[in-house]
Amino acid sequence: MAGLSFDNFQRNKFLVSKGFGQPMATSTGTTIVGCKFNGGVIIAADTRATAGSIVADKNCEKLHRLSPKIWCAGAGTAADTEMVTQLIASNLELHSLSQRRQPRVITALTLLKQHLFKYQGHLGAYLIVAGNDPTGAHLMSVQAHGSTDIGEYQSLGSGSLAAMAVLETGWKPNMTKEEAMKLCADAIESGIWNDLGSGSNVDLCVMEVGKDAELHRNYLTPNVRSEKLKSYKFDRGTTAVLRSSIHDVLDVEETVITFGNDAMEVDA
Amino acid sequence: MNTIASQFNNNNRNHVHHEINESNGGYGGVDKLELTPTMTLPPISQPTDFLRAHTDDATNPDCKIKIAHGTTTLAFRYKKGIVIAVDSRASQGNWTASQTVHKVIRINPMLLGTMAGGAADCQYWETWLGTQCRLHELREKERISVAAASKILSNLIYEYKGMGLSMGTMICGFTKKEGPTVYYVDSDGTRLKGDLFCVGSGQTFAYGVLDSEYKWDLTEEEALYLGKRSILAAAHRDAYSGGTVNLYHITEEGWTYHGNYDVGDLFWEVKSQEKSFNNVDG
Amino acid sequence: MSDPSSINGGSALAMVGKDCVAIACDLRLGSQSLGLANNFEKIFKINDKVMMGLTGLASDVTTLHELFRFKNNLYELREERKIEPSTFANLVSSTLYEKRFGPWFTGPLVAGLDKHNKPFICGFDSIGCIDYAKDFVVSGTASDQLYGMCEGLYQPNLEPEDLFETISQSLLNAVDRDTLSGWGAIVYIITKDKVIKKVLRTRQD
Repeated sequence: MAGLSFDNFQRNKFLVSKGFGQPMATSTGTTIVGCKFNGGVIIAADTRATAGSIVADKNCEKLHRLSPKIWCAGAGTAADTEMVTQLIASNLELHSLSQRRQPRVITALTLLKQHLFKYQGHLGAYLIVAGNDPTGAHLMSVQAHGSTDIGEYQSLGSGSLAAMAVLETGWKPNMTKEEAMKLCADAIESGIWNDLGSGSNVDLCVMEVGKDAELHRNYLTPNVRSEKLKSYKFDRGTTAVLRSSIHDVLDVEETVITFGNDAMEVDA
Repeated sequence: MNTIASQFNNNNRNHVHHEINESNGGYGGVDKLELTPTMTLPPISQPTDFLRAHTDDATNPDCKIKIAHGTTTLAFRYKKGIVIAVDSRASQGNWTASQTVHKVIRINPMLLGTMAGGAADCQYWETWLGTQCRLHELREKERISVAAASKILSNLIYEYKGMGLSMGTMICGFTKKEGPTVYYVDSDGTRLKGDLFCVGSGQTFAYGVLDSEYKWDLTEEEALYLGKRSILAAAHRDAYSGGTVNLYHITEEGWTYHGNYDVGDLFWEVKSQEKSFNNVDG
Repeated sequence: MSDPSSINGGSALAMVGKDCVAIACDLRLGSQSLGLANNFEKIFKINDKVMMGLTGLASDVTTLHELFRFKNNLYELREERKIEPSTFANLVSSTLYEKRFGPWFTGPLVAGLDKHNKPFICGFDSIGCIDYAKDFVVSGTASDQLYGMCEGLYQPNLEPEDLFETISQSLLNAVDRDTLSGWGAIVYIITKDKVIKKVLRTRQD
């Protein structure tokens, strides 16, 4: 069966009623921003994923592709942003195939908000959607409950306040691409330094009208781990072993043999 | 200096103590707890409920303060004296906080106390018991009996009943008139004299070994090994017990320490020697 | 601790080395404080070059192992080839996300070599968020301790023999600080021509 299965929901609700807790999902305590400029739009994100107070992933990807020229940045429950994005990307592709038109940002946003509204906020996805379409460059955002927003510059996630402080200070109309990239990167960096839920690197995606979207994975890496001065390599034989067994793998090599004309009869 | 002095001053009693003494006041007896340091209670209407809400992880798993729990301790009497064996693990929730806790409290050269439940409670009140025993000696010109020592502790504990103390302890000693004696005292106020006790989360596993091998006529060597072996069994099965085994022996001359054995090594040694623990691979 | 993912206890981790990966787990299965079994392996073979670790609620570990075995069998019948580790990771992810509102109480890991024998590892949360990592992934009741050990001991490009020592010491020392993990350990090292399984001698308390 396609779609979500609620089998374990009953079981887990019972467990909760008996005092058992729910497992902790990875959430992206996040800083994401978006900003328009003269001739396009940019989105950016940090790369930290957290599970409670633990940093689960130091270099995760929060910039998702909805279509070649429409990208979105996700905050909230990591699995939800990922899966919702993949689902809408598929539907957007099918839609553009059936309409024989390039997908539009507003279509992506509508698809997202209708899906999220249906789930009444239980899907914890907070997204900044941006991209180019035949009507120009657009920057929008959608919250878990389905509400949407359109603006020249936006920020979302736990570091949105830190980022918005930078955006409010630095934003001006009709910026150049370079100015906007700097502004977005600065806003994310502000989140990285000042918000505990955000950290590591800056990912950035530039969507210029009339050009392919360009993803700058790890555009800034202000948190490179310094190399260990000495090695913690153990002497071989440090660990006591009771038993050891080896399973040999037979690698199957594939060779393509081209047949002569008379080698095989193919049904017409 | 004043704060230290005021600890020994009746005027500084908190209201619970005040109430306790007030009710005893009419009888004009000497205040038994003159040197008892008083505990400061939180300034709220129900201090006991407050403490329980924040520290009792059995009823409230989300409680913020997790008191160190989980132990296996045992003590048994036999012909030659008393054997005391304990593990050394302290855990807070699922976190192993320490593998090197000393769970035997040397009250004085003749008396030993074991530690289960709240580590701080046991350590504090059994050290306090040491001072009470010394005062007894000075007053009565005679060493305190194990019965009396354990009763001082159990009476103290009973005064704090329901206020959140958590202790399960064995007071062990050897006196001329009593011989080898073991008393079990816990924070409910229970005080029992007996031949053989195991206390803590791993008590059932220790009882399993101890009960099947215990005899009154054990030799000293046999008895010490049995104590060690019982703790080993508990350290193996009980998640909250482990680390090392500490062994003590008590005779008329007082207690002697019989060493510290790392379960990591002891287990494999016992397994190969006894050909036991056949459930374990290796 | 009435959290279903820490009733039975257990931990696992995976690491990348030079042209090899290692995946390891403890062997304990308990019921709260009581240790029940010391032969409960949490690592399962998917094919010659892909293995997965499953920690958490033991019933879900077993159920999911069977489910993934079934799904992998169907994949092999349909595609007439072995599944790639990254493909399998996506299969795990969507299988977990299917139960978004009633999750399996488990934290899976995937480790393997792809068709070019390039190492691949990743971890998941209980609802299928993939954590792609270049160095190591951890899971289970000792995951906090494992993060600490791995951050300290890991270094890139270890030969299989050295990777074995690093992953073993990381696991052993992490589970020694977790009451619910331990009771034996197993390590698999996957290289392009063989898979080595080693049973470790560990503390038994």
